Amino acid sequence: MSRTLKIILFVTLCLIGMLTFAYAHLMVAPGPLITEHQTLNGDCFACHTAFRGVDSAKCVSCHQTSSIGRLTSKGLPIAKPSTSATFHKELNRQDCVSCHSDHQGVKRYQVTRKFDHALLKSETRMYCQNCHKPPSDNLHQQIKSECAQCHTQKKWKPATFAHNKFFVLDSDHSASCVTCHVANDYKKYTCYGCHEHTPANIRREHVEEGIRNFDNCVECHRSGDKDEAKAGHSNYRAPQPYYPSRKKSWLNEIFD
Amino acid sequence: MLNRSLWQRYVLPFTLLLELLALATLAGDYVLHQFNLVWVGRYLGIPGTLLIVASLYYSARKLKWASAGNPQTLLKFHEFGTWLGSVMILIHSGIHFNAILPWLATVAMSINVVSGLVGKMLLKRSNQHVSARREQFKSEGLSAVEIERSIFWDSVALNAMRQWRKVHIPIFMVFAVLAIGHIFSIFLFWEWV
Repeated sequence: MSRTLKIILFVTLCLIGMLTFAYAHLMVAPGPLITEHQTLNGDCFACHTAFRGVDSAKCVSCHQTSSIGRLTSKGLPIAKPSTSATFHKELNRQDCVSCHSDHQGVKRYQVTRKFDHALLKSETRMYCQNCHKPPSDNLHQQIKSECAQCHTQKKWKPATFAHNKFFVLDSDHSASCVTCHVANDYKKYTCYGCHEHTPANIRREHVEEGIRNFDNCVECHRSGDKDEAKAGHSNYRAPQPYYPSRKKSWLNEIFD
Repeated sequence: MLNRSLWQRYVLPFTLLLELLALATLAGDYVLHQFNLVWVGRYLGIPGTLLIVASLYYSARKLKWASAGNPQTLLKFHEFGTWLGSVMILIHSGIHFNAILPWLATVAMSINVVSGLVGKMLLKRSNQHVSARREQFKSEGLSAVEIERSIFWDSVALNAMRQWRKVHIPIFMVFAVLAIGHIFSIFLFWEWV
């Protein structure tokens, strides 16, 4: 390597080194900072601690956990809060970067970072309504017990509510909830939402068989299988929770 | 065969090899996006860098800093390790375009890959090719001027390759410094534990 080339290389690298220190936010930062933190551009150690990453204590020194979601870091009320849940004070440890990032380049990967409920204090973890609004449909309005009896803290769906205990949603009954439960009223159902089951048809078929009491369809028909009911129409049959031989529909995937 | 130009015999296959590098990078990037594994790309820089560092053992052997190992085998490993390592780093770079320093390192690495391929895969064989053609024309009784005229374009290609070969080590040093700067900045600002 010639002496001239060595000098050129050395000078170039020194120049890049100086630019790195002078414009760290352009040279090494993973994307620009969020708008609210633009004043911290170039001041990497305002948030980072050398070789230890982002220090949550530095975040908390400006953002008090008791007022996150209600007040700005300057103590002013937030006009349009992104969430009404003030759960930050209920976290069992402060690990801000496990959910937040200020750099655009890192924020892109946050879709894979779901809120981990294990971060909540154990005494708070089961009080879902502190942060989540319960669904307004009748099914959920009836439920007074814990959400965890059907849902997990990792995902809302799939829930473990077993519709098959009441009626099997096979491929012939792959309908939306409102087809049977009109106006989201899960206390009631109707089989007449489907053109196959018109009142006149049902009446005729049952009268032919000598059956007079056919108001409560699922008392005898717990699936789309006709033969199931023929075996003992007038007798009440215990719920059959699962029919493995029947083809399953997408609704079964949700409710099983 | 001997009459086929240097371009057809060596430069074209070499170009195809470079295109294969680009295709492997694009294919890797596509697969990661298809299977929602883009985050993997963020970490591909680590095995890529380790592969390149390991393949530098060939250079140490050549400079007699190390004595163990068959140079021919080590050369193969150097070629393969740097090629595969480069693919990994190119995928890693392509996943996110955030800062200037790592991209300067990527550009330096790409120039280094080209100069390395030219130097190790083309130059020696091309030299032999041009010498053989010169000898052939001489045996056919052509004058020195006629010989030079006949091999003019081959000579031009050969000279261009020699220039690439010359920049291999200096560009590698630039790449090494920039890559170390990038890696250092990651350790300095990121939380690893």
